[in-house]
Parts: sequence; C-alpha cells; structure tokens
Amino acid sequence: MSQEVTTLGDPAAPLLARAQAAIEDRSLNGVKAWKAANPGALAIGHMPIYTPRPLIEAIGALPVAMFGGGDQVDIIRGDSYFQSYICHIPRSTIELALGGDLDALDGVVFPAICDVIRNLSGMWKLLFPEKWSAYLDVPQNFDRNLGGKFYGLELRRLARELHQRGAKELTDDALAQAIADENERRAAIAELDLIRQKEPWRVRASEAYLMVRAGAAIPAREHTKLLREFLGIAGDRKTRAYDNVRVVMIGSFCEQPPIDLLRALEKAGCDIVWDDAQLGMRTIEGSIELRTSEGGRSALDALVDAYCEQGAATASRYIGNEVKGASLIDRVQKTGAEGVIFAAASFCDPALLDQPMLETALNVAGIPHTSFKYAENTAQFQVIREQAGAFSDSVRLFGGGA
Amino acid sequence: MSKIHLTAGIDVGSAAIKVAIVRSEASHEGKILSTVMQRIRRRRIDEVVETAFTEACEKANVGRRDFDYVATTGDADGIEFATGHFYGMTTHARGALFLQPEARSALDIGALHARALKFDGRGKVLGHRMTSQCASGSGQFLENIARYLGVPLEDVGSLSSTAQRPEEVSSICAVLAETDVINMVSRGLGAADILKGIHMSLSGRLIRLLRAVGADGVVALTGGLAHDLGMVKTLNEDLNVEKAKAKGKHVHLECRTHDEAACAGAIGAALLGAYRHDQLARSGRLAAVSASV
Repeated sequence: MSQEVTTLGDPAAPLLARAQAAIEDRSLNGVKAWKAANPGALAIGHMPIYTPRPLIEAIGALPVAMFGGGDQVDIIRGDSYFQSYICHIPRSTIELALGGDLDALDGVVFPAICDVIRNLSGMWKLLFPEKWSAYLDVPQNFDRNLGGKFYGLELRRLARELHQRGAKELTDDALAQAIADENERRAAIAELDLIRQKEPWRVRASEAYLMVRAGAAIPAREHTKLLREFLGIAGDRKTRAYDNVRVVMIGSFCEQPPIDLLRALEKAGCDIVWDDAQLGMRTIEGSIELRTSEGGRSALDALVDAYCEQGAATASRYIGNEVKGASLIDRVQKTGAEGVIFAAASFCDPALLDQPMLETALNVAGIPHTSFKYAENTAQFQVIREQAGAFSDSVRLFGGGA
Repeated sequence: MSKIHLTAGIDVGSAAIKVAIVRSEASHEGKILSTVMQRIRRRRIDEVVETAFTEACEKANVGRRDFDYVATTGDADGIEFATGHFYGMTTHARGALFLQPEARSALDIGALHARALKFDGRGKVLGHRMTSQCASGSGQFLENIARYLGVPLEDVGSLSSTAQRPEEVSSICAVLAETDVINMVSRGLGAADILKGIHMSLSGRLIRLLRAVGADGVVALTGGLAHDLGMVKTLNEDLNVEKAKAKGKHVHLECRTHDEAACAGAIGAALLGAYRHDQLARSGRLAAVSASV
C-alpha cells in the first residue's frame, strides 16, 4: 500500500535507488562515462515509442532513450518553439538540448509517433544542423514484402548514415549478437512483468517501471544484468498482499507519467498489473527470432519481421480499431485485471484518438474503466488519487457498474 | 453475509484518528463493538493509530489477531497491518447509511474539508461536491476562532445557541473571515454572536453543497463538526428558512447527527471490510490478502 512500507529493510532498495538515479540523470552523465570508456563510439538518442535498439548496438553505438525532462525541468525556451495545445515532451526535449543537457548525444532518431514528434525532428534539424538526426518513417503496412521491405531499407539507411559519422559498419554477425542480447533483456522484462501480474505486491508497478526505464541509456547486456539482479532479490522481499483492485493502465507510451503518479495510483488501492509506459521495451512481443536455419535470411530480416509480425497493438500502429479493442480486452483477461485506467498525457493525439474506440470495446465487454490526463511535470496528484480511489472502491464493492 | 465477521475501520483524518470495531452477522446489519477517537496533536500518525487501535480492541474485548479484515480510510498510507483501503467518500457514505438508515445524502464536515455526498440504498456514492481548498469551510477554522476567543471547543455549540445579534462572517476565505472576527471583537461583539455568525457562514456554504449534489430528505452529518450542536441547529434553522421562502422550489432537507457521527468513516470502512471479506472468500482470493495484525 505504501512505498515506505515496501522499502523498509528491503533488499531491493539499493537497486531501486540506482534505477531512480539513472532516470534522474538528465545531463546524461552515464552516457558520458560510457563514451569515455569507449573512445570514438557514438551515443544515439531516440524518442519513444519504438526504435530498433539492436541495430544501434550492432554498429557499436549506445542507444539512449529520450523521455523529455520529466518533472525536473522548468520549461522556458522550449515553450517558444511549440504552440500551447500540444503535449509537453517536445518542449522539455528542446529545453534540455538548448541547455546542453543532451550534448553527449552524437545523433537522434525520431521514430514516427505523431505529428508533434515529426515537427520536433524538423525543429531539431534547424537548431542543431551540425548533429546527425533522422526521422525513422516506420511503415504502416505490415506485409513483409511491402512495408517490411521499406522498413529494411530505412534501417540500412540509418546504419549507413551512422557509419559515415564514425560508427562501425553493420554486419550480420554483430546484429545477430545484438538481437540475442536484446532477447535476453526482453526475457528478463517478461519475467518482471509476470511477477507483477501474479504477485503485484512483490514488485509494484512503480518499481518495475524504474527497473525497466533504468535500461534507457545502457547497453542491453548491462540492463539484463541489472534486471536479473533485481529478479533474484524480488523473492526475498518481505511484502504481503493488500486488497487492491487489479488494473491495466494504458495511454502513457510516449510522454511518461511522473513516477509519483504511479505511486499515487498504488496508494489509491490500484495494483497496476500491466501498463504501456516504457512501451519501447515491449513493442515487439516475444523474442526476435533469428531463424538462421532459413536460407538467405539475415539478422536485419529478423528485425524487420519482428516489427511487422510481433508489434504490439499501439496507438501509433495503424491497425483496425477492433484489433486494438480486442487486444486490450485480451490483455485485461490475461493479466486478470478488473478494470482499465486510461492515463494519457494532455494533448497526446495518438492516445486520445484511440481512447473512445477502446472505451467502446470495454463497454461492450463489461470491463469498467476510468480516465485522466497528466503532464510529465504534474506535481499534484490529489485529484487523480481521489478519482483512482473512487474507481478502486467502485470496482471492488460494486463491480464498477451503476 | 455468510458468517460472523469481526472487522475494524481506521480513519486517518487531518486532525484525529478514528477507529471502529464492528461485528457483522449474516443478513443482519453490523453491530458497533467499540469506537475510539484520538486527536493527533503533533504526534506521529503511526503511533496514534497504534494507541487508538489498541484502545479500541481493549474496549471491544477482542484480540488483535481476531480480525477478518482491517480497513483503512482517509490519509492512511502507511498502516502495515491493514488488509485494504477504501476511499473516504465511500466509507463516509456507508457509515452515514448505517447511522441514519433513512438518509440518502451525507454532509461530511472534517477539519480541513467539507463534502456533500449522495448515495443509494447500498451506500454507493452517486455524486459528491467538496469545498474548495480554503479552510473557511472547515472545522479547523472554527477551532482556530474558538481558540482565539478563549472558548473551549466543547462549549462552542451551546454558546452559539445563545446568540442574540449574530453577524455572518466571510465565507469566501479564512483570512477574510478572521479579519471579520477581529473587527467583531474590536467592536465589542460577544463570543456567542461571533460563533453563531461563523456557524451561519458555514451553514450557507454547506447547504449550497447539498443543493449542488441533489440531496434529498434526511441528510446524515458525519465528521467532527457533526458533534457541534450549534452547527447542526444553524443548518436546520437555515433549511427551515429556505423552505419557508422557497415555497416548494427546493426539496426540504433535514440534517441529523448521531453520537458516533465523527467515527462514520471508520464505521463505514469496517462494514465495507466485512462485505469485501465475503467477496474475497467467494472469489478464492481471501488467503492472499488476509489481515495480519
């Protein structure tokens, strides 16, 4: 129920503190240390939701997931580049960049999320013409021979451009190794997710979030080691179950919710058994299959196929509404959730456009839901807490219906 | 309910901790075995909870390990031995329904906030309205003024009832209201008139909340100020005046208090704990969340 209780004499507390420090490293000191230890290697930032990190690792570079300034940055200059009716993350990203906090990055990938991130990529090119940047136009056709072919060409373009900037040349062996490393990380995240679902009191959503996000700016192998260490300790934690409501939380895939918002929901009696914050680490569902036994199939083909065939049903993926609705209901059922919380960043078009369709699907399935919006720098959670508390009570005591 | 349940409710308010121990039987309403209210008075919350809970157990003559469900409510974040937590609005609605079975609305007037609730026959909240952040609509404000005037808290109600020429204070802001009170003191107004003026000011705000939420008929008063008989009297006086003026425009309301009104949240939490215990037993999830006091 409370963060204080769960961390009291908690063997996982040092790891959680390490993870917290990693996500608060807004000036990328960890990246600077990595670059010092790997002279000449590039650090490549990327915006949410999904960027193929194994590709970047395979060319000897460090992928660095960028999540804006969170609640640590006062936005002054960032506001002058964007209109008031868009989300927060592009403003704080510009603020960080103009303030020199992102200087350790040698380039940035802007994957196709929404128009705002597309605009940010253009703004970036104007503001930092000397830095490499690329807009990764991910396909919305998931046929391997059409969209897949296009995507493969896009990935090769990125690798080629980065090679020209000093990264290693992309080789099949290096990519296969990077994919294997990524699969190890995904397996560890999947184990963490499973504990959350089975025993949410053992690993709270806010703690799982910290551990997953801690891998944003470190190589996959290092992240896997950290996750494995945490998983090894999780069983020894002295915790116990509370009578909370089990919920799935969706809509937080790009601009991240403040960690205290997750804690506020937990304090309001919600066990968040699945969420789409840190979706980048889970966009590809399951392992990326190398299938080397199939003749002439490269590691890049594996990356492309995984994108086409194993992509999660997210707001930035153009698929039928009924598919997304069915996917959400399936998620609720598989995780044993009793309700859904729509938690979207204010002005997040992809999340807020999907929401009515998803709500309709939930209504038909009789799954209770509630919704609220946040910004990455939201600092007052009382209203959200009251709403979540009322929702938790309603679901537990009255089944969520009228 | 399928069996006899022993449950406890712990309501952590901003000024006091309330504990209720309830025994609930199949197809019968619960029976309150004990209630305890302890003021926090700059003590650590967990310490006050511990002493209040121990006292309630002793009064009810039950052991700490006898509970089926220990439910918290209010600002109870760190009570390790709780089984579950219910939101304050839900518990006050359930407690109000228990204390005033005729009521379908409640007015919870606590130290920092006041809120009006509308609920159905199960205690499910159908709507609510709260006072804004300003403390002028709260018990803490009244307590502060009583202290400035040198009036013991327990005498506020009876003194207010003797007022002859009350003057209403500002209901917008506690700072303005305090300024009003200072002016009244300097003009020689008596404590009774000042306190009645504050009750009238609070009453106006609270009735507006009740109207906004669509309250109807009997209104159960809960929270600390439900024990201020001057407050209760003023509320009903104002409602009667409103009734006379409105000529059927508004549904008539009647505010009722109860000896256990301050503990309504804790009582509601304990009752909901019993209900929830049954639900968990039926769904096979009971073993995982058993109370461990």
